[in-house]
Amino acid sequence: MEGPHDVLVVGAGCAGMRAAIEAHDAGADVALISKIHPVRSHSGAAEGGINAALGNASDDDPEKHAFDTVKGADYLGDQDAIQVLCDEAPEDVYQLERWGAVFSRTEDGRIAQRPFGAAGEPRTAYAADITGHVLVHVLYEQIMRRDIPTYEEYFAWKLVVDDERCQGVVCWDILNGGLKTIGAKTVILATGGAGRLYTGTTNAYACTGDGMSMALRVGVPLKDMEMMQFHPTTLAPTGVLITEGCRGEGAYLLNSEGDRFLKRYAPNAMELASRDVISRAEQTEIDEGRGVNGNVLLDLRHLGAERIIERLHGTRELSLVFAGVDPIQEPIPVRPGAHYHMGGVDTDLWGQTSLDGLYAAGEVACVSVHGANRLGGNALMETITYGKRAGRHAADWALTHTTVEVPPSVEADAEHELKQLLDRTDGERPWQIRDELAATMHQNFGVFRREDQMQEQGRIVERLRERFERVVVDDKGTLFNNDVTQALELGFLLELADCMVVSGLARKESRGAHARPYDYPNRDDENYMRHTITRLDASGRPQLDWKPVTVTKWQPMERTY
Amino acid sequence: MTEAAVHTEPQTLEVALKVWRYDSRTGERELVRYEVEAPDWVTLLDVLDIIKDRVDGTLAYRKSCRMMICGSCGMRMDGAAVLACRTRMKEIVEAGHVPVISAMGNLPIVKDLVVDMEPFWSKVRAMKPWLQSGYEEPPEHEWRASQEQMNVIHKEALCIMCGCCVSECNSMESDPEFLGPAALAKGMRFVGDPRERNQVERLNAYNEEHGIWDCTRCYFCNERCPKGVDPRDAIAKLGAESIKHGIDHDMGAKHAKWFVTSAKTTGWLRETELVPKTQGVVSAIKQTKFAMGLLRHGKVPLPFPPHVAEEVDEARALYNVVKQQGRDGALGHVQGERALARIDHPDDAGAHGGQGYRDSPDITPGEPPVQRDIGEDPHGQQTR
Ligand SMILES: Cc1cc2nc3c(=O)[nH]c(=O)nc-3n(C[C@H](O)[C@H](O)[C@H](O)COP(=O)(O)OP(=O)(O)OC[C@H]3O[C@@H](n4cnc5c(N)ncnc54)[C@H](O)[C@@H]3O)c2cc1C
Ligand code: SF4
Ligand code: SF4
Ligand code: FES
Repeated sequence: MEGPHDVLVVGAGCAGMRAAIEAHDAGADVALISKIHPVRSHSGAAEGGINAALGNASDDDPEKHAFDTVKGADYLGDQDAIQVLCDEAPEDVYQLERWGAVFSRTEDGRIAQRPFGAAGEPRTAYAADITGHVLVHVLYEQIMRRDIPTYEEYFAWKLVVDDERCQGVVCWDILNGGLKTIGAKTVILATGGAGRLYTGTTNAYACTGDGMSMALRVGVPLKDMEMMQFHPTTLAPTGVLITEGCRGEGAYLLNSEGDRFLKRYAPNAMELASRDVISRAEQTEIDEGRGVNGNVLLDLRHLGAERIIERLHGTRELSLVFAGVDPIQEPIPVRPGAHYHMGGVDTDLWGQTSLDGLYAAGEVACVSVHGANRLGGNALMETITYGKRAGRHAADWALTHTTVEVPPSVEADAEHELKQLLDRTDGERPWQIRDELAATMHQNFGVFRREDQMQEQGRIVERLRERFERVVVDDKGTLFNNDVTQALELGFLLELADCMVVSGLARKESRGAHARPYDYPNRDDENYMRHTITRLDASGRPQLDWKPVTVTKWQPMERTY
Repeated sequence: MTEAAVHTEPQTLEVALKVWRYDSRTGERELVRYEVEAPDWVTLLDVLDIIKDRVDGTLAYRKSCRMMICGSCGMRMDGAAVLACRTRMKEIVEAGHVPVISAMGNLPIVKDLVVDMEPFWSKVRAMKPWLQSGYEEPPEHEWRASQEQMNVIHKEALCIMCGCCVSECNSMESDPEFLGPAALAKGMRFVGDPRERNQVERLNAYNEEHGIWDCTRCYFCNERCPKGVDPRDAIAKLGAESIKHGIDHDMGAKHAKWFVTSAKTTGWLRETELVPKTQGVVSAIKQTKFAMGLLRHGKVPLPFPPHVAEEVDEARALYNVVKQQGRDGALGHVQGERALARIDHPDDAGAHGGQGYRDSPDITPGEPPVQRDIGEDPHGQQTR
């Protein structure tokens, strides 16, 4: 056993690093584990910004931020959690600035803020179009400053549970090979999202929902797993994000007939309507045969070469490299792509899960701040504020509890399971299962959900899970073996897909990201203003349950913009 | 149907790659040729994925974001560092080229295309890379700083720590302890920060042996950086700031040291470089001769044509550009130097979409690429 540590943070994106810093400053012995180097975490890909009611650009306050978030969440967010986020956000953003974050500035030298979708005030603090990158690097600087030990390129695979407490993690050491068990009084999961469930996603290869599955496997429930947000402008074919800034600059969305189709869906806001509205409009056009090879077209040409080069340089580069399309000459093929998982590990306001000593923060968690639909800029804020809170609580808890016990059977069982996987030489390579899962999730559990398609997807996932039992890993070695971890990631994804289908079928209404226009087109507050909860039963199948939404002062209203 | 439709119709390519496989435990290495069918939009990273999935799962390389922001996928294509996810294959395949893929240079190889990044990070850590805002009482809210002040470090803040610059750094090849372009750019990120209070202490540290003066100004780092950080410019800014603060005046020592380094890295003495190296950049840059010195470091696309005498006008233009920029510390200096490198071939310098590729000698990873049997280099320059 390595360690033991007071606090072990699994994942080193914004949430994980912020948690580690807080736990360290609270006096705990803390360590980080990450399957990729911390600065490689997908938090670094966030472009737009981070929401806090600083009031630098308008007369804003946390109360307004909270209301926008409650409404944006389509009333599925827990209002106490949202209040905490919005109240603590300003100080947390100032803290990042004082650590050195290179924010863009106002005329008078304060942090600049810009308007963002569905926000009543310009409250998104930003660093040009590289906000996430800037935050990841400033947090890593603070990790280096504190000399916080990091188990780099360690793949966390299993949580150690003994005496009804989480007491560590079993990992695969990617660089040197071998299973390593790290003991800890508390474990904070901060492993990010699971966008890799879908063919077209803005998420990195590392976003495979590992933490959600690890928690699920030790009996910790997941919440609102059906809530996957689709972003309307992701680049075909791979799903790389094309910023909303294009539409902000005046780009048009066209169908195959060259028609600005949004006039039929959002005649006033047109291309500036909210994400879910545009995603649904695009999908309808594509489904009704007015798409172009499964895409619609984002047309920038009328903006002129000069403006494109000056303001949308990054977009042009992405489009050239990944689609071979120069937006000065041709429209960019885009489609809705999986972007953000509102659902995740069920936690309280301090990131605590139902298992003592186990915490979760960031995209892996579901507090729930985002409910059925996340507002742009709120995800980064959640990683910081709830990362901090989880770090604080875990440190306090660890400093008042003393022992760590890792029963030898834990390691032995893990070794045995891994050996079975590595010894298998006859069977299927994981990629086909992975690709089929992602393609069918896109097809059957995408922007729109139909009862029969969701049921079909349930059967598909079941079959894929069976095939996964016979999957073969090529690399049997111990030197930088990520062939084995990629297989384990697929195992995680399959379980999550199962939970999503079960929750999706149970929610017989349309709310936020869960759109069922064909059978339940309306929101049904009477029956479904509550969270779905999934757990695994003894046979490994998801079981459904419900949990009430916390309402403090905002009663549900119709959501119009 | 519109034009874009043509682009998204599934078309495939027959992609061939030669990959240097390597195992640091056994020392075994082998150049393996792979041929796969791939959609026409693939990047180098996508091709490696297809190989790993369908041909050989033991192939090792790093990846994550696949959108040029995480810095995982640095590797060499035909001997020059690239981000695999930023390198489109279509044009390469259509030109009938079979690129050679190998691990980045100047870092120990672990397996195949994976290098040990620890030497890289230890140098970054040596820069004390965190804001030191001194003992002043922190403000109630944020520090105040104008956008203009923050712009000084705009480019340095773009760095994704991919190591492409370090891979190609000439000085590091001869002196592995040289702090190197990425770490020094990180240093500039703090020296240039208006909120920083420890500039002088930092500059003193960065002026030590293996520090800023050990850079041979080959400009490889600027050329290979996929994010337009221009680390060489950052080093120049540190030099200018140092001189402004009266740090580094030991010319004799500098001269001697540079003499040795120059001979060591290039095999001959680059006289033109002695001037800037020993007198400091600021005074040197005022001599147009320095500008011409840039030409001598071969291997990079020429910033401007080599025949100095025939290009007097350009030389004058350069001189004027430099003069106009003023010489007051980092800002003025750097812009001058950037202009020098880019005045004639703006599209060749720094990071731009679409990467060129070169003829591919079979470079062996882990060894300095000394002898090449690729015949006469067209520019008569030293090539790597
Ligand atoms: C393209 C894009 C743009 C976005 N833009 C914005 C925006 O403008 N504003 C906003 O608020 N939000 C934005 N988001 C959302 C936001 O960036 C993410 O939700 C957030 O950054 C997630 O942070 P995290 O710390 O939870 O996870 P991540 O940053 O994904 O980090 C996960 C960490 O966990 C580690 N890890 C995972 N699995 C394991 C394992 N098994 N073992 C060990 N380590 C593991 C990884 O190595 C990594 O370090 C964007 C998202 C994307 C994809
Ligand atoms: S210019 Fe200096 S730092 Fe850059 S690659 Fe050349 S020697 Fe290295
Ligand atoms: S300076 Fe450029 S090449 Fe070097 S590490 Fe940073 S981004 Fe990569
Ligand atoms: S995979 Fe992230 S930079 Fe290439």
